[in-house]
Amino acid sequence: MENLKQITKNDIVSEGKKMLGAGGKFVTAVCNDLGDKLEVSYFFSADRGTQLTCFRYAVGKDEEVPSLTGATLSTLLIENEMQELFGLKVKGLAIDYGGHMLLAHDSPTTPMLKEKKAEPKGAN
Amino acid sequence: MATRTTVPFGPQHPVLPEPVQLRLTYEDEKVVDVVPVIGYGHRGIEKACEIQEYAKNIYICERVCGICSYQHSASVVEVMEKLWPVELTPRIKYLRTIWAEMSRTHSHLLWLGLLADAFGFESMFYQFWRIREKVLDILEMTAGHRVIQSVNIVGGVRRDIDAAQKKIILDTLEVVRKESDSLVKVLANDYTVKARTVGVGVLTKEQAIALGAVGPTLRASGVSEDARLGKYDAYGDLSYEPIVETAGDCYARALVRARELFQAIDLQVEALSKLPEGEIAVKVKGNPPAGNEAITRMEAPRGELFYYAKGNGTRNLERLRIRTPTYANIPTLLVLLPGCQLADVPVNVLSIDPCISCTER
Repeated sequence: MENLKQITKNDIVSEGKKMLGAGGKFVTAVCNDLGDKLEVSYFFSADRGTQLTCFRYAVGKDEEVPSLTGATLSTLLIENEMQELFGLKVKGLAIDYGGHMLLAHDSPTTPMLKEKKAEPKGAN
Repeated sequence: MATRTTVPFGPQHPVLPEPVQLRLTYEDEKVVDVVPVIGYGHRGIEKACEIQEYAKNIYICERVCGICSYQHSASVVEVMEKLWPVELTPRIKYLRTIWAEMSRTHSHLLWLGLLADAFGFESMFYQFWRIREKVLDILEMTAGHRVIQSVNIVGGVRRDIDAAQKKIILDTLEVVRKESDSLVKVLANDYTVKARTVGVGVLTKEQAIALGAVGPTLRASGVSEDARLGKYDAYGDLSYEPIVETAGDCYARALVRARELFQAIDLQVEALSKLPEGEIAVKVKGNPPAGNEAITRMEAPRGELFYYAKGNGTRNLERLRIRTPTYANIPTLLVLLPGCQLADVPVNVLSIDPCISCTER
């Protein structure tokens, strides 16, 4: 992947602010379950969207990570989603849906983790 | 101080074809706060794509959305093709471009009809949707289906467009262009339409960028950005420049889509005239290589569609992530709605062309 920059979780807010300050735009984030860790990639675009930069860090599953919603509300949904589907502990969300942005109260928790096997409800 | 009242807008509302709730706080009839509440249609499609064999992901992903279904199938095959990577013939790229622009044409006609419906202009709604049927007919003729085309496969497409079909497409597009032109003139100049849209829901250029807006919502705020500038498929060979308006209001968002409707017709005509000879599919061997990651960004009718895939050497993907245009545009409602009147909420919400089944996947 081009323009991939490995960072630590503590750098994501400053790197994000730098991108936004230079006229860049937040595109999305992707969370991957690496087994003992979660890998988080934030994508920003620049130059009319033609340039894409990825900031990536890996954290333990119990570690807290900072939210970028203080700098831009564009990360609001994806940070809530990563918290909900992967159990990423995001601190400082502008709106915290409390684990129920996408999932209902009786849904399986953190269903995107590899250890969670998908079993259709009511299957015979 | 005026009394504050919190009212749920949705999840069932006449202006919303799909379930989403906006928790609106009003002072008298003015909106002062909004919290978007989603989750009524989450289907776990990303998880399903890890469980199914990669070839079946096409059929899952094109069901993410019933309107931009084509772009989802094109995106998922392209992101998987990049994992090997697979080299496509120019004809495949052109065919995919033609179907993508056909899909944009019917999607924008659908939205223009919905906008008219949102402020009660029912005859305009019917007329836009009547024209849209012609586009669905040529989609069915060429791809085999009207809504879920299933025409893409990893390494190519299932169907070709022959000379007889090419003529029918060109003839149909001329009719669509002519009939749409007269309707768009009404949309652009009618007193009632302007009264309901001009100056309503203004999103400035700075706000649009800061909130990560995409597609017509972004371009109506004066930002010349479009995934097609990345020259994927045949766009590098075609005359293409993003359509931009600067007012940032509901009227500007309507004008961008109306102008893009004609641009999509032009792109189809140009692509058909340049359609090169060649194979419509190439052989792909083995499974997506382990550890390889790929990204694809395509311009769906509502804006940039982002797919991320990671292979693990098996017939299943390690991970597939989908970021849809509405997912990126929902934060703009946090700016568009506060300050507007209760009566303007439906038009404001509709102006970003929300697709909730896309958003929730």
